[in-house]
Amino acid sequence: MAKLLFINPVVREEDVPRHVPYGIALLAAIAIDKGHLVQVYDANAWRLGEETLREVLKADAWQVIALGGITTAYGSIKETVRIARQECPDAVIMLGGGVLTSLPHEIMNWLPEVDVGCVGEGFITFPEMLAMVDAESRDWHRIAGTISRNAQGKPVLSPQRTLLEDLDTLPYPAWDLFPREEVYFKNSQMLYSPEGMLAQRRLDINVSYGCSMICRYCYHLGIAGDMRYETSESGEVSVSFDRPGAYTRTIRYHSPEYIVRMVRHMRDKYAIDYVLFLDENLMTMDQHSKRLWMKDICRLWHESGLAPIPSYDAAGIMNGWEGVHWSGTSHATLCTKEILKTMRAAGCSHLVYGYESFAPHVLKTVGKGSTPATNERSFFWTLEAGIRPVPNVIIGFPDEDFQSIRDNMAAFDRLGIQVRPHFATAYPGSEWFTLHRDSLEAQYGGNLESYILDLGDATKITGIICKKFNAVELIGLRELMCEGNYRLLDVFESAWKRVHQERPLV
Amino acid sequence: MTSVLKGNFQAAKSVEAKDKPEADDLDSRFEREAMKKLGGSIAYVAKKKIKWAEDENP
Repeated sequence: MAKLLFINPVVREEDVPRHVPYGIALLAAIAIDKGHLVQVYDANAWRLGEETLREVLKADAWQVIALGGITTAYGSIKETVRIARQECPDAVIMLGGGVLTSLPHEIMNWLPEVDVGCVGEGFITFPEMLAMVDAESRDWHRIAGTISRNAQGKPVLSPQRTLLEDLDTLPYPAWDLFPREEVYFKNSQMLYSPEGMLAQRRLDINVSYGCSMICRYCYHLGIAGDMRYETSESGEVSVSFDRPGAYTRTIRYHSPEYIVRMVRHMRDKYAIDYVLFLDENLMTMDQHSKRLWMKDICRLWHESGLAPIPSYDAAGIMNGWEGVHWSGTSHATLCTKEILKTMRAAGCSHLVYGYESFAPHVLKTVGKGSTPATNERSFFWTLEAGIRPVPNVIIGFPDEDFQSIRDNMAAFDRLGIQVRPHFATAYPGSEWFTLHRDSLEAQYGGNLESYILDLGDATKITGIICKKFNAVELIGLRELMCEGNYRLLDVFESAWKRVHQERPLV
Repeated sequence: MTSVLKGNFQAAKSVEAKDKPEADDLDSRFEREAMKKLGGSIAYVAKKKIKWAEDENP
């Protein structure tokens, strides 16, 4: 059986490592179930630098080195595969995850050290790739869902892999293979709610795939049924994601029984006190199940003894709990008052809302299916239920203007929220990336890889897609929004209009 | 010491977690702490980011 080393690349270096990589943990569990010899080096958790990475690569005769991650891990992946090829010239280097799936041909060209890529979901493809290593074959093109090089060295996609239908056939992620006690539990805290702040032993789960929405900035990278293979007139096959008039979706989720059994297992084995649902949008699943899914999860949470019971200090202030608090993502239009109350009773402490904007004319262009009114309604419903809403906002949408900035500032005042908006960022795989790719490349001197290397979590500005404002203006406008500084906004708007009367925007 | 490799078998060599070289020098510590509180009156120069070419004909 294959001797396999997983490497979790470094990501978000500005923060401590907070999340066991769920996809790698699942694939490690699948590989172990198939009888392979598996080791994990979680470089993101340890952050020990190149010397330790080289030691790890020399620690055994690895047949396979497997990496994966999201697009923002690209810089670390690029460096890691370079070193891996130096230290392990005979190993098969495999790459998967969103970083590859969004731009498979480009990534294979940029990373000549990678032998084969797993495009889209790896649950079936990855073990087939390992079986091929066992068979001492390298006919990757025979495995659906891969990208490899042909005799001329050109990256070529094999046929598209279909998605796994029954998610409950998956094993639990191999959390044992990650430094929980050494790193992750120490970083359990989530400063989004009092319960999140007090969390001591948090792990994350991802129990659904897909989203019914078509947000123009969002990307699902093949696991939501959003990816299509298209053949050009010259016969070349490429991947395609959302674009105007072409949206496809597949909604999948674990059964409530599987989910709660898994969390009970996590509680029993790792003594967790908090679970973060990494899911894109819990409310999509709830609506898709005709409002049964979330309700059943909550019911089983109680029945399995997971619903938290708080403890208090002498002053009557909560200082802990028995059970498992949890949090996740919601949607302004898809949530209901009833389900929010049910979720709170089962221990839900915070819900992230991608409100994005409180300007009607901007929201109309986003594809989110929400309005300023549903944003505000969900905000107050969530508060009334006893759950903390986390109101994410974005600045720099294509149609951002002075009115939308004022609309947002007014909403911040009305709702009493402190928010530091993210910058609208066109990540590969999103509709806006498809539409604005040429412009983004131009902003980076025609070098797309430079743009990919620059991408972070949208807290800093990278490539811009805003029609009215440039990067410098957006940075300044964000500061004014944060400060609620209407006076300077007025001053700047007057100056801006004077300039653009003389030199109109194209 | 703690092994940085975790798996379902014993690797031929063990690799222990050691302090990252140069991670705890004074400048690195300062930059890390400053970054956490960047904004307001706190600013700093990240020396590694500086690109400067001396003008041969000043």
